[in-house]
Amino acid sequence: MTALQAKDRRRLGLRSFAATKKTFWLTTMMLPGAVWLLLIRYLPMFGIVIAFKNYRAFRPNTFWNNIVKSEWVGLKNFEFLKSPDTGIMIRNTLGYNLLWILLGLVISVAFAVMMSELTTRFLAKTYQTMMFFPYFLSWVVASYFVLAFLDPTSGMIPFMQKAAGQKVTNFYHDTTWWPLILTICNLWKNLGYSSVLYLAAITGIDTTQYEAAAVDGATKWQQIWHVTLPGIRPMIVILLIMNVGKIFNADFGLFYNVPQNSGSLYPVTQVVDTYVYRAYANTHNLGMSSAAGFLQSFIGLICIIGANSLVRKIDPDSSLF
Amino acid sequence: MTAVSQSAKKKIKAGSFSLNRFGTGTQSVFHLVLAAFSLMCIIPFIFVIIIAFSSEESIRQIGYSFAPLSWSTQAFTYTFQLGNALWRSYFNSFLITAVGTLLSVSITVLYAYPLFRRDYRFRNFFNFLSFFTMIFGGGLVPTFVICKSVLGLSDNYAALIVPMLFSPFNVIIMRTFLQTTVPTELIEAATIDGSGEYSTLLRIVLPVVKPGIATIALLVSLAYWNEWFLSLLYLNKNMEIMPLQYLLMRMQRNADFLAKNSSMLGADAAKAAAQLPSQSLKMALVVFIVVPIACAYPFFQRYVVAGLTIGSVKG
Amino acid sequence: MKKFLSLILTLALILSVCSFAAADDLPTITIMFHGSNVSDDSAVLEKVNEYIADKVGAKLEVIWGTWGDFDEKAVNALTSGDKDVDIVFTCSWSSDEYNSYAKKGYFLKLDDLIEQYGADLKAAIPESLMQAATIEGAEGKGVYAVNGFKDTATQNTWDVNVTLLTELGYTVDDLMAKGFFGWDEIFAKAKEVKGDSFYPFLVEPMVAERMVTNSIIVAGDAGSTNLLSLYLNPEDVSADGIYGNKLVNKFGTPEYKAFAEQMHKYYEAGYIDPALSVGETSNDCRTNHQKDASYLIGTQSYAFGYEYSADVLARGAEIKFVPCTDPYVDTTASQGAMMAINSASEHPEEAFKFLALLNSDPTLMTLMNYGVEGIHYTLNDEGLVIFNDEARATYSPWTNGVGNVTILPDTASEGKGFRKSFQEYYAGAKGIPSLGFVFDNSPVENEMAALGNVAAQYALALDCGAVDPETELPSFLAALDAAGMEAYLNEANAQLEAYLAK
Repeated sequence: MTALQAKDRRRLGLRSFAATKKTFWLTTMMLPGAVWLLLIRYLPMFGIVIAFKNYRAFRPNTFWNNIVKSEWVGLKNFEFLKSPDTGIMIRNTLGYNLLWILLGLVISVAFAVMMSELTTRFLAKTYQTMMFFPYFLSWVVASYFVLAFLDPTSGMIPFMQKAAGQKVTNFYHDTTWWPLILTICNLWKNLGYSSVLYLAAITGIDTTQYEAAAVDGATKWQQIWHVTLPGIRPMIVILLIMNVGKIFNADFGLFYNVPQNSGSLYPVTQVVDTYVYRAYANTHNLGMSSAAGFLQSFIGLICIIGANSLVRKIDPDSSLF
Repeated sequence: MTAVSQSAKKKIKAGSFSLNRFGTGTQSVFHLVLAAFSLMCIIPFIFVIIIAFSSEESIRQIGYSFAPLSWSTQAFTYTFQLGNALWRSYFNSFLITAVGTLLSVSITVLYAYPLFRRDYRFRNFFNFLSFFTMIFGGGLVPTFVICKSVLGLSDNYAALIVPMLFSPFNVIIMRTFLQTTVPTELIEAATIDGSGEYSTLLRIVLPVVKPGIATIALLVSLAYWNEWFLSLLYLNKNMEIMPLQYLLMRMQRNADFLAKNSSMLGADAAKAAAQLPSQSLKMALVVFIVVPIACAYPFFQRYVVAGLTIGSVKG
Repeated sequence: MKKFLSLILTLALILSVCSFAAADDLPTITIMFHGSNVSDDSAVLEKVNEYIADKVGAKLEVIWGTWGDFDEKAVNALTSGDKDVDIVFTCSWSSDEYNSYAKKGYFLKLDDLIEQYGADLKAAIPESLMQAATIEGAEGKGVYAVNGFKDTATQNTWDVNVTLLTELGYTVDDLMAKGFFGWDEIFAKAKEVKGDSFYPFLVEPMVAERMVTNSIIVAGDAGSTNLLSLYLNPEDVSADGIYGNKLVNKFGTPEYKAFAEQMHKYYEAGYIDPALSVGETSNDCRTNHQKDASYLIGTQSYAFGYEYSADVLARGAEIKFVPCTDPYVDTTASQGAMMAINSASEHPEEAFKFLALLNSDPTLMTLMNYGVEGIHYTLNDEGLVIFNDEARATYSPWTNGVGNVTILPDTASEGKGFRKSFQEYYAGAKGIPSLGFVFDNSPVENEMAALGNVAAQYALALDCGAVDPETELPSFLAALDAAGMEAYLNEANAQLEAYLAK
């Protein structure tokens, strides 16, 4: 804070009084958030070194002293990646994420556009409210719901198969359907949320643009294409970039609880987060989990920077930074 | 062509609501798609309610089912027997959510607004300051150490509010809302009129960006309402301030743990396992958690989101 | 806005300062328990603090960790060097696992303190338990935790629904004579009588595997799914088993293959509920069927007095627990519930004095465990404890997790002399030949992480019979090999040999 003011003073001669005043007031707006960031986010960041250390307790046993005295082990904590499962978990993490980013984008934008175009406002509101419901339920609860359909003894689908005299599918030992089931679950949970974001963005579009388009004789479809979509482009791009930054992270509950942690399904449900969780449950190695977190962040950072610079070339206004 | 634009103009002049709408056919298709998906979203919740009212015996015999063998209100009776603990945790959840949302939304808007201003000098610096923490963090234990021993966040309400007061994600969303809804000319005009920065934000910008604020408020309040991990970390002795979600998670996790480790714990633990809440009780608690926020959601739509009236064209 | 934030931070600061100011001249020691169900400890703590003020010279505060949150709370407190937690529960199966946390320096070595203040403690706890707690830690070989005196031996039993068995026309002796590999006929009959949706064989698959193959849990092995095995001699648990004192890959033995094949037969025939074969549904399914005794034969890790516990009596059928072997003392069981002093603690002496008292003084132990007489329980004419259910609902710690249970008074429901017989039962248990061995997995941590994941993928389904061992077992073994099973085994065996040589 003092540094900024000092900088301000130094440049005082070069800038108009009004500009400095503006900068000052705008900076005061940033302060609560900036202070929070420094205290809660930046101060703990020294903890990142745990990923490169063999963390343990020393005397006196304080966190700071332990970090300083623990020996450096280079990349040893990252060696969990040598596992033969690594290929599968990376394939699953990236594959599902890419698929879901695309599907989620297309469908939630479509839903938002549809809702904004409905004339029956009461129904539109009702849909929107209902679509948000899955967001309230945890994956544990959602997993009971999936179980009610798939349970080999009492589930609805096996029950119908039995009634029809077909062979009963034991879903929790059969990988065939899980890519589809997980995809449905993911969309089910997140569509309401993201379409609300897009819908709010659509309602913020300046209406005179629609009027102008209508005056020019654009059909409704053309208005969507030429006004609505460009209008929410910044939101689309921002959400895309941020999703890309999470490409190496997976929604733990979806991959752990929904398949009921069934071992037979690991070939299609093992992702980075579940692997690290299971590994940590056995080793209790703080360094390894820190290393995994660091790796996810690092890859996320590279992806975001890549995506952002791409966006900056095409549409500088929409870029993240 | 001219006919269309003529009629459109007429409609606009008349302040008519519909500005060149889709035909009934297309509208019906939209309704069909949205209604189908909405049903998909609401059915699991109905399912949870059914389980909450299912008898224990039915769950034991046929598992979770839409059509239980017999019904029972036992889970709810039991829940009400939790008495004070339940209502106190309800109160705590409301308090934490209300205070947390108010503070968080304020901080978010204050942080996002200068980022949206192209003429702000330190825009890039603060943008990066926030964005970077979305990707990198110190991890659970270091954050805990700072919060507890440096900031004194332990066994108090602040511990359940402060650690999630600010989210870079929400800042970016808010900034994007500002970009898409607030024209730069508006701010320039205000500045020329001699309006101060705070008064421009409060009087000019906030009214325009209401839908965005409501959306952020919704996301933040949901996050606070559903939060239980902070309680696990920071509440050790002062259980008086335990929120509802943590009360539920403790029951859930206790049951899971006991079932998984029964072979390690001896006869005494088996006794504890037998006393644990049933599946229907867990679902009853889920109902207790979801109902208030589900009720609050239309409220967000109706009152806070004056601007977010779906399909309406502001003019 | 700034005001609000600073207000909150100041408030937080004031609160934390207050908590310091509130303490009078006596230091406060804080203990973190596991598995408790306590919502009101005020009456108990008042009495406790009165009682220990002179004896310990400190005030007690308690963090009542529950089953579901203890692991995270404890690991967090220890790894963050939190000086506000003085004493913490630890054992061979919790996340703050005794051996590895002692090795990493989180626990204080207690030998000097025992020498100075531990005479009563040493008298109250059998030498063998002290021995079991003596390990190679950060400060060399020594005792790093006070070992609770509880059911210190392992014994796996078949949990038999005698009511149903009699109805089918068999006796427990018939059952045991036929043995695990010969129950087809009985299961078929049960299915015939009780209907197609009845599953007679209610197993905890991993436990069933240990019961049939006579393998045991090796301390320090992957916790979620054990990989290593030592084999017991079922006739005499203190003698060497079929493979001697050598660790083997438990999934690679002919014993395992025979077990998995038999389970698969039972599963295919519909004798085992499919829900038992899936990670997260397995436990719920078992608990549900146990509750109304809707099974014929189950598995149970047994503790003395289990058949008299309320939930077994409530099943509505006569239940008998038939042991596979005599109770045996292995490292895992003998480190089953312990209390360690956090090396970040600022009051280690007071903390130890408290622990010593808790484990040797019946008054304090009873107070902590059963609550205050007249509030949480009353004594009947025979001096047996009768609980006041209403008050107990707000105060019931996990008895085994508090300390020395043998100095507790008998309760009316257990009957007079229960604690004495309990003590005798476990005093008579024999140790396995490699008792005290703990595998230090740190040299092969990455292998263990990978192997644990592979085992989690295959083991439960195979143990439960849900998949065909003909095809799955070979791919399981191949996956284990690829994940470094050989290096893991070699390391473990080298350590075991070195241990036995000492």
